[in-house]
Amino acid sequence: MRSVRRASVVTALLALFALATGPSVVAASSVTEQLISRLNRQLLYMAVPIAVLVEVILLYTVWRFHDNDEPSPTRENRQLEITWTIATALVLLFVGTASFHVLAHPMVTSTPETAHGDYQPGEAPDDAVEVQVTTEQWAYTFDYPDANVTTSEELVIPANRTVYLYVTSEDVIHSVHVPELGLKQDAFPDQYQLIRTQTTGTGEYRMYCAELCGTGHAEMLSTVRVVEQQEYEAWLEQGGSNATANGTASGDTAPSGSNSTDGTPTGDSNATNATATAEPTAGGDA
Amino acid sequence: MFETIPGIAISAAVLLLLVAFFRLRGDAPAESVSDGGYVPARAGLTTHGKPTGLTRWLTTVDHKDIGLLYILFGTGAALWGATDAMMIRTELIVPETAIWGLETYNAVFTTHGFTMLFFFVTPVFTGIANYVLPMLLGADDLAFPRVNAIAFWLLPPSLLLVRGGLITEVAGKVLAVLPVPVGALLALEPVGVGWTMYTPLSTATANQQIDVALLGLHLSGIATTMAALNFIVTIFTERADDIGWNKLDIFSWNILVMSGLVIFAFPLLGSALVLLLLDRNFGTTFFAVEGGGPILWQHLFWFFGHPEVYILVLPAFGLTSFMLPKLVGRRLFGFRFIVYSTIAIGVLSFGVWAHHMFTTGMDPRMRASFMAISLAIAIPSAIKEFNWIATMWNGRLRLTAPLLCILGIMSTFVIGGITGVFLAAVPVDFVLHDTHYVVGHFHLIVVGVIPLSMVAASYYWFPIITGRMFNRRLAKAQALLLAVGTVFTFVPLLILGYLGMPRRYGVYPAEFTTLNQAASLGAFVLALSVVLWLVNMVQSARVGPVVEDADVWNLKETGQFTREWQWFEEQLEDRQAELSRGTDGSATSD
Repeated sequence: MRSVRRASVVTALLALFALATGPSVVAASSVTEQLISRLNRQLLYMAVPIAVLVEVILLYTVWRFHDNDEPSPTRENRQLEITWTIATALVLLFVGTASFHVLAHPMVTSTPETAHGDYQPGEAPDDAVEVQVTTEQWAYTFDYPDANVTTSEELVIPANRTVYLYVTSEDVIHSVHVPELGLKQDAFPDQYQLIRTQTTGTGEYRMYCAELCGTGHAEMLSTVRVVEQQEYEAWLEQGGSNATANGTASGDTAPSGSNSTDGTPTGDSNATNATATAEPTAGGDA
Repeated sequence: MFETIPGIAISAAVLLLLVAFFRLRGDAPAESVSDGGYVPARAGLTTHGKPTGLTRWLTTVDHKDIGLLYILFGTGAALWGATDAMMIRTELIVPETAIWGLETYNAVFTTHGFTMLFFFVTPVFTGIANYVLPMLLGADDLAFPRVNAIAFWLLPPSLLLVRGGLITEVAGKVLAVLPVPVGALLALEPVGVGWTMYTPLSTATANQQIDVALLGLHLSGIATTMAALNFIVTIFTERADDIGWNKLDIFSWNILVMSGLVIFAFPLLGSALVLLLLDRNFGTTFFAVEGGGPILWQHLFWFFGHPEVYILVLPAFGLTSFMLPKLVGRRLFGFRFIVYSTIAIGVLSFGVWAHHMFTTGMDPRMRASFMAISLAIAIPSAIKEFNWIATMWNGRLRLTAPLLCILGIMSTFVIGGITGVFLAAVPVDFVLHDTHYVVGHFHLIVVGVIPLSMVAASYYWFPIITGRMFNRRLAKAQALLLAVGTVFTFVPLLILGYLGMPRRYGVYPAEFTTLNQAASLGAFVLALSVVLWLVNMVQSARVGPVVEDADVWNLKETGQFTREWQWFEEQLEDRQAELSRGTDGSATSD
């Protein structure tokens, strides 16, 4: 009977799991996030009942046949085998088709239009916001080539406009991850990957690094602030306003990141870098 | 220093336990006689014509002895890896750095992965297969007994190489009180670049221990490949005359497919490791930005890495399919379909590796095709689950400890498997990749299926190995704790992943605290269950009730009294005969 209790715990947890993940419909986020979470909900609508059904059948089998004194011998049942194989295949076919449709959406799948990994500032369409996101151990730099603004404080983007984020890395692999906007893209050195999205309202979201990148990985956080168009323009005019040290844009549009405006974070991470690599040597001298 | 203590303490304790274990069950019949008047109860350990004591264990080429060595080694590694896991979950009880620094945290989850995947799961399954496979096949031994011994003895040095940083650090600190230069020892720090060793992080990190660990992993790969070849040859050539392919038992089928995967996957890992070693030390550019590129490492690694997932889990499926029919008094439902599904998993497992790389910006057409195969591989997995349930239907379910383990496997496998489908759906994977969801998903399998199947096997065959019976009540409680603990530990991680918490974070935003604490609580339940299992095994092997009737699981009534039990029965009969021929004094106490 204990297993009955256990299985009911499993079922309850599954239901809880469905509750926790199901109603994650946040009004204002991004087109990408809405597409993905709708797909996720569709999958959950299938997955949770199937999981509960299988668990219940399992539980029922245990309850009905435990200490059953008249076991009957096993007979092969080809029809049954074929039925559940095809049923599973159909469910997965649906999962595949639904996923493929979302995958084909330009706000979900976004590869740079030019040759693999190449990027020139100003590549994004004229009506879109273009930001170059440079990752390094363990900080981000955001370049706005159209406005000659560079900041390391936060990524500020206007609401309801298409955004092109060109993601690259200065050292190891990082991954730009904004769960609430449904965005994730690995950043490789010497390459540019594209995140394309459109926000659907204002808000502040956390940006994580999702790919292990060394000691400071867990602290490589930043913020995405989605603001109204006017506020965005004002912010750009002030040269990334509340970025104190970064001040005005220097007019340096070099895409390779390490210009004078982002001196503080680069210096910071170099220092941490140095200590990280120096440690073994210091130990060796001891 | 503090963080090194638990691992060392545990391994020392394990070594002590093992020594005590072997002392107690050593070849000293006098002790056993005084312990209730029995002749040695260990029917499974025939000692005729073998050296005794330590020499026996160091020189043995007997598949049963080597099987036990494998199981003990794997258990030791598991306890070490579990210590890492407990360190992880302890650190994550609070959002900020509490006990260990971020660098140590990174090292701990890296070595946790290495230890569990390479030194726990495969060695234990190899050990179980070593022990029972020849008996199931009607063979005297594996095809190459000496290769078998070599394959085992390569493992301890490779474990030491992989985990060297910790050992050298402790050794260095101990030696530091003496006037000896210990700088070289302290220079080696535990590897902290993740078990996936992604370049350029793994090439750019200076720590020399990474090179040592790469050599260790390479060595363990050689050992695994040797064992796999041995299994394949044994299954092909050493079967008894009456065991055709249609009569080959399901466990051997799984070991056969698993071994096939090993010989295709592990040599590739070995080569990739050598390339990485060359990149690190000899200035080659296989994975450098100006050379093959960092993505090449990911392709090579996951081409090994995904079949590896099935290398780990297929023996667990095999054990489940093997034991379940015997425990419910029915033959396996859909035997042929389970064999087909096993082979299908083996083939498909080589076509899904890039689903670990959906967020690298790879070609969308490639994403779609890898998604298709990743979804397809769920079909054979589902077939297994359905066939297991159908096997139980109309059966005679006695809720013994091994059956409880298997029920635990079947219930966690549903969640573990279905959560995997979400990761195969590329758009969903974009948000869930590299979050705790992934950790939760695969741990539901690698904790909820693999160790449970090992524990089930440890109970099922315990009488054969030790000649004694384990404590059934303790075993039931332990099985339940393991199954429930798995759900309580890893379902919160699924939710954390949906909320966006990335994996490999030693510190995290405060809003994730409650779920992390729930997971840590579950981990302590798991730890308790492991301790209970260990106590039960050691104590029952020492003083458990001696088994008189070989048909422990009532297999005869359903005609499933398989060869290993027949062998055990013969051993018991021999023992009885020996007993009646022997001194009357000791026989009366029966």
